[in-house]
Amino acid sequence: MSGQKMKENKNTTGAEAAAGAEAAVLKGHDFSRAANDPKSMGALAPAGSSSPMTLAAVREELKAVKGKKYWRSIDELANTEEFQAAVEKEFPSAAQEWVDPVTRRGFMKLMGASMALAGLAGCTKQPDEPIYPYVKAPEDLILGKPMYFATAHPFTTGAVPLLAKSDQFRPIKIDGNPEHPYNQGSSDPFTQGTLLDLYDPDRSKHVTFRGEDREWAEFAQELRLKAAASKDGTGTYFLSSTITSPTLARQWKAVQAAYPKATLVQYDPAVAGTALEGGVSTQYSLADADVIVSLDADFLSGAGFPGFHALVREYADRRKNPEKLNRLYSIESTPTTTGLKAEHRLGLRASEIPAFAAELAKAVGVAGVVAPAYAWTDEQKKFLAALAKDLKAHAGKSVIIPGIYQDPSVAELALAINAALGNVGKTALVSGETTSPVPSDQLAGIKSLVADLNAGKVDWLVILNANPTYSAPADLEFAAAFEKAKTVAHLGSHVDETGQIAHWHIPSAHFLESWSDARAYDGTVSIVQPLIDPLYGGKTAHDVFQTLLNEPGLSAYEAVRETAKSTIKGDFETGWRKVLHAGWIDGTAFAATGSAAKALSAKVPAPAPKDALEIIFRPDPTIYDGRWANVGWLQELPKPVTNLSWDNAALVSGATLTKLGLEEDDIVELTVQGRKVNAPVIVVPGHPDNSVTVHLGYGREFAGRVGSGAGFNAFLIRTAASPFYATGSIKKIEGKWGVAVTKSHFQDHRGARFGQQGTGNNSLEADEAINERGIIRYATLDEYKKNPGFANEGENHPSTDKSVTLFPNWEYNENAWGMSIDMNSCTGCNACIVSCYAENNIAVVGKQQVRIGRNMQWLRIDTYFEGDLAAPRAHFQPMACQHCENAPCEQVCPVGATVHTPEGLNAMIYNRCVGTRYCSNNCPYKVRRYNFLLYSDFETESLKLMRNPDVSVRSRGVMEKCSYCVQRISAAKIDADKENRPVRDGEVVTACQQACPASAISFGNLNDKQSHVAKLQSDERSYQVLADQNTRPRTKYVAAVLNPNSELQDTPVEHSPVKG
Amino acid sequence: MPTSDLKPNPDETELARRIDPATGEFRVIAPGQTFRSVTEKIARIVLTPETPLGWFALFGVGGAVATMLLVALTWLFLKGVGIWAITQPVAWGFAIINFVWWIGIGHAGTLISAILLLFKQGWRNSINRFAEAMTIFAVVCAGMFPLIHVGRPWLAYWMLPLPFTMNVWPQFRSPLMWDVFAVSTYATISVVFWYIGMVPDFGTMRDRAHSKAAQYIYGLVSLGWRGSVRHWMRYETASLLLAGLATPLVLSVHTVISFDFAVAVLPGWHTTIFPPYFVAGAIYSGFAMVLTLAIPLRKFYHLEGLVTERHIDNMGKVMLATGLIVAYGYGMEVFMAWYSASHWEAFMMWNRMFGPMGWSYWVLIFCNIAFPLTTLWSRRLRTNIAFMFLISLIVNTGMWFERFVIVVTSLYRDFLPSSWGTYRATKWDYMVYAGTIGLFTALFLLFVRFLPMIPMSEIRMMLPGAKITPKKAAEAAD
Repeated sequence: MSGQKMKENKNTTGAEAAAGAEAAVLKGHDFSRAANDPKSMGALAPAGSSSPMTLAAVREELKAVKGKKYWRSIDELANTEEFQAAVEKEFPSAAQEWVDPVTRRGFMKLMGASMALAGLAGCTKQPDEPIYPYVKAPEDLILGKPMYFATAHPFTTGAVPLLAKSDQFRPIKIDGNPEHPYNQGSSDPFTQGTLLDLYDPDRSKHVTFRGEDREWAEFAQELRLKAAASKDGTGTYFLSSTITSPTLARQWKAVQAAYPKATLVQYDPAVAGTALEGGVSTQYSLADADVIVSLDADFLSGAGFPGFHALVREYADRRKNPEKLNRLYSIESTPTTTGLKAEHRLGLRASEIPAFAAELAKAVGVAGVVAPAYAWTDEQKKFLAALAKDLKAHAGKSVIIPGIYQDPSVAELALAINAALGNVGKTALVSGETTSPVPSDQLAGIKSLVADLNAGKVDWLVILNANPTYSAPADLEFAAAFEKAKTVAHLGSHVDETGQIAHWHIPSAHFLESWSDARAYDGTVSIVQPLIDPLYGGKTAHDVFQTLLNEPGLSAYEAVRETAKSTIKGDFETGWRKVLHAGWIDGTAFAATGSAAKALSAKVPAPAPKDALEIIFRPDPTIYDGRWANVGWLQELPKPVTNLSWDNAALVSGATLTKLGLEEDDIVELTVQGRKVNAPVIVVPGHPDNSVTVHLGYGREFAGRVGSGAGFNAFLIRTAASPFYATGSIKKIEGKWGVAVTKSHFQDHRGARFGQQGTGNNSLEADEAINERGIIRYATLDEYKKNPGFANEGENHPSTDKSVTLFPNWEYNENAWGMSIDMNSCTGCNACIVSCYAENNIAVVGKQQVRIGRNMQWLRIDTYFEGDLAAPRAHFQPMACQHCENAPCEQVCPVGATVHTPEGLNAMIYNRCVGTRYCSNNCPYKVRRYNFLLYSDFETESLKLMRNPDVSVRSRGVMEKCSYCVQRISAAKIDADKENRPVRDGEVVTACQQACPASAISFGNLNDKQSHVAKLQSDERSYQVLADQNTRPRTKYVAAVLNPNSELQDTPVEHSPVKG
Repeated sequence: MPTSDLKPNPDETELARRIDPATGEFRVIAPGQTFRSVTEKIARIVLTPETPLGWFALFGVGGAVATMLLVALTWLFLKGVGIWAITQPVAWGFAIINFVWWIGIGHAGTLISAILLLFKQGWRNSINRFAEAMTIFAVVCAGMFPLIHVGRPWLAYWMLPLPFTMNVWPQFRSPLMWDVFAVSTYATISVVFWYIGMVPDFGTMRDRAHSKAAQYIYGLVSLGWRGSVRHWMRYETASLLLAGLATPLVLSVHTVISFDFAVAVLPGWHTTIFPPYFVAGAIYSGFAMVLTLAIPLRKFYHLEGLVTERHIDNMGKVMLATGLIVAYGYGMEVFMAWYSASHWEAFMMWNRMFGPMGWSYWVLIFCNIAFPLTTLWSRRLRTNIAFMFLISLIVNTGMWFERFVIVVTSLYRDFLPSSWGTYRATKWDYMVYAGTIGLFTALFLLFVRFLPMIPMSEIRMMLPGAKITPKKAAEAAD
């Protein structure tokens, strides 16, 4: 949905919707006929509310009686009073039985009746779900017309402001809030994946105590009594994930005031021990940065980096116009898309980076830096000298970004360098505040918690949305200490490793189910507005803290409003509605008032010896710290750089692999301080030698049906002393792991056998793609200036000649849809792919199917490594159906299941497809995806709610592919038709385009010469992939232009100029 | 060299032995056959109540393997084509390879029965019946694959131009559509031709049968054949007409099938040489299959007198000729890869030869070129029955690999290097493939048991007694 259109929608429904949402979400769905019937409400409300326990017990019975159909409508799912009323009204006699305490007699009668009904149902062909039509339709609901609500995804490193699409009160797609100044409509893979997390069928559904079902009220009462009994909160401990909500912080402060001895520990495995654990305080602004230096900072490829959305946008803005190119240097350990996109990349081992940063600080003139002595190679010295020179030349117009998974000294040094260069206040903004309202030293916190546990001081441990049994540092032996707490309660979305052994388990509400607030990277407070009643009656940390306060029943909604009262200016009710409508509270952004003049406090650690094997720990690029292990979209998503799916692996360089006598996919045993874990090994081009990267988040035992058992648990070898890199050892053990890599791996095809094309140390794929095939075309800035038309010259790089055809050309008179992808902007972050999953109901196929190449993503990011594989450059190319005007697939389909629309879309008619797969064979881009087996889940009830109703769910034996989001095109055309006008430029936004933080994807009408996409397509840098096949693709790529430093031009990559 | 060492040229005596003194033509069947002996020999195989134990044993094996096909197909229909190894980018696999292989095998039967009939090659008579049977069973096996390889086999009939209320129509630009017509026409003509050819023999069987059931059934299928001149005249006319119809099919069916590949844009498929090279390959593999069947058959049923060394030798020659055309095709592919100066072609050829699946190319070269085309020149080897049996198996393997190479090695590394993949067949692939061989074997054994496998009427016509040369007729008239 475009900005314009959203605005209209919001104008008409916005204020009412915001107010309506409040009511609808809090009180259940006020649209059921029973709810609007005063008689039934009046008659039944007392029965329902006076004996909640009985009702709950009967609900349990009801569940047992109904068998596998767990619930049938949202009302029933929510188990609202209105629903009960509806049921009772329909079966008045049975209803009396239900609200009475269950008697044996009544139970037998009910059982008998349901058996009889089951028998009857067996004789008919009617669907077994009752259909409740809207007798009185809700005022703001137009069936088939989605509504949009502003909310936010509260994430550890800063909230992501969102605009969620709701179809019949079910959130079905979430995207960035286009009006929010921070992310401006973009999102990221994690945020996109949280939608599936909401509908995860493995979420926990009941409050339990030692495995038995209980009620929230019982838990609340016990906690409250315990705290009251202790008077000052002694023995009451809370272990929470990082608190980002101002309301939660306020509630905690109130708890602390009431119970001063109660203890709160925050622990998030991905940030504990980093410079971030106290929250983000430095913001970077890349708009004016001519030179960007990343010190092991992967700010271009994942929401794990604070400010990802803004940083990518600002970086990419400068990449789109060759006149404004910035220059990116990357000094990094684990290869990331940031490093591989950089003009100049220096691969260093993680422990060398602090020392290098210190050298850099010295070189640019930071006073008082002591750099550890280290034998830098000539190449590294040259890089340092050139970098320092370039930085000095761009003082005030450069920025140094420190990595978060580095020694805290790197962050300090980076700030010092920024200060020395005069960047502070220009490209690096330091604030006095942080995104975290209750900053804490997380590692120290969990250490002291374990000490207290072992000392027997802990009576009550309440764990809030954390999974320490799985993710606590291995040396703390958390699970053993856990046993010593008298009572442990676990609030979590799943019965995970911690939930399994905790005494109490309380289902936690998803952020789309509950009220909260959170601060984004820029400091703006966003309101987390729910779009649906909790599916399984989940609770939040707000509810837990509120239990201990004066008004224990006060809802999170009231609490959030209470907090907002201090920040919303003017009339509160009006302001509140505006805030709900917009999604954030104006005037809450950080002011860049902080001082950069901090003394360098930490000592810069010396690098580990060169022959020591270093093991680097990183949160996983797709499932983060393991919290999204059960999200199939993110599990199957090929990880940036490695294209690994469904697993983590020990990532090593080719040289290290050879040195250790290993082959890819071998199983190795990694040892750190006597702790061992088995892992598969794969090669990553550009990885530093003598170094291994492992990603955290895998090896979950109790993640759910998707995530349990995938990968290995790297937390087992990660200690509190060295949370981000440690010295260890590696040993080959027997067997192969069986990793699933979604592209053919360059390792298989390297070597210098007879007839081998290309040199042995290059990637054959990239040699092919970049040279003769012309799939990747780019030039350096100098080359571009000399020859702006470089992308379309030479015998293998023709542009389409429309006269070469057997069939007459079709005239596109109205719309001619086309796409343009900017190769210079795309950072390979994968947000587009997950967005496509959600928009187009794409199936998840599982690891074994991915292994044999049957992954279903309609959009993939092709990665080509260029040059020496020890120091490569990579090219990321989003590849989806090109919607060829002269489509080879259409010609060969025997049943006409893939045809061309009059607007130039290559359409796929699923109903007509018999599945010969000829189209796929004949597709030069291999972008068609085939349902080799029944991949779509037609059974799981919760997943049915998530589906986009505008896109069919494909069954077995059917070919599918990117449709340019034809459902969105149709929606826009219908709107335009109603207003008797052509579709405006920017009105159709594809799902991938919407999610892209780099705005690398443009879409629109090519016939409209003023449209953004038409202008981009007519740019001389635009080229068509495989144009020599005369397929006439509608998607064009804008060739990249790089801006290398002439002093470093021959390192690390020698650029072979485009052949012509 | 001393003259005393000179010996009479063995070929001269050999030649003499091979000429039938009665007709002055090359002998087709062994000397000493009479009308009666031929009829006895062939009819007894069918009409005997004593089925050989070996038949049961082989039928048991064939039937068991065919049952495996049933299992594999049941599972296929339950789960979907994903049980096979096909994937992205290799979306066609064993099913299409087997389809093309079986269809190719069928071609020899049609060639023998139609083209050789038109060219008046008398030697075809001993082998044409079972070669035609082979064609039909091969088409049965082949015809199954296009149906089962589609993702939704219950909708495969959508490929037929049927007037539905749904008002949808096949897409006639697709070569798969052309396949439907080519293969269905081919199957129809082959069955009709085969049946018409058997009618005189059915008459003989009817007359010689002892059991009531056999008399009744053969009587029914013989369509009232009485052997009158009028019958013979019509029979000959029908045979000629059908031969005329079938002859273009020999060329067209595999040409159309080659279009499945040649029409595509894929390097390795997109080539104009495919039609002739596919047809030659089909005949090559077809004759190999006829040999594979004929050699054990003549041994088992003691038919050496009817299917003689001469037949084996002739088939060897046909294989040599078609094998050379196939070799030319391979050569041209390599030449064009270089001469076209197209990177796509050059890379495809390099990858086909030296890529990760390059071994399959060399298996093909050995089986189809290196081994047969160097040995088949020798008449001694061509008349060595054991050797010819071996070579027939090798060529069949080689031709299967040819299709494997075309289908798989073109697909697995095509345009975008990011999509390169691989292909590794699953047990279900092997089960379906082996299962069709079992089905073929079982069907063929049933044919051998219940139908005259050598056309008695046509063999009788070749006996010296049946020969009336115009000259002799003129002399008799004088």
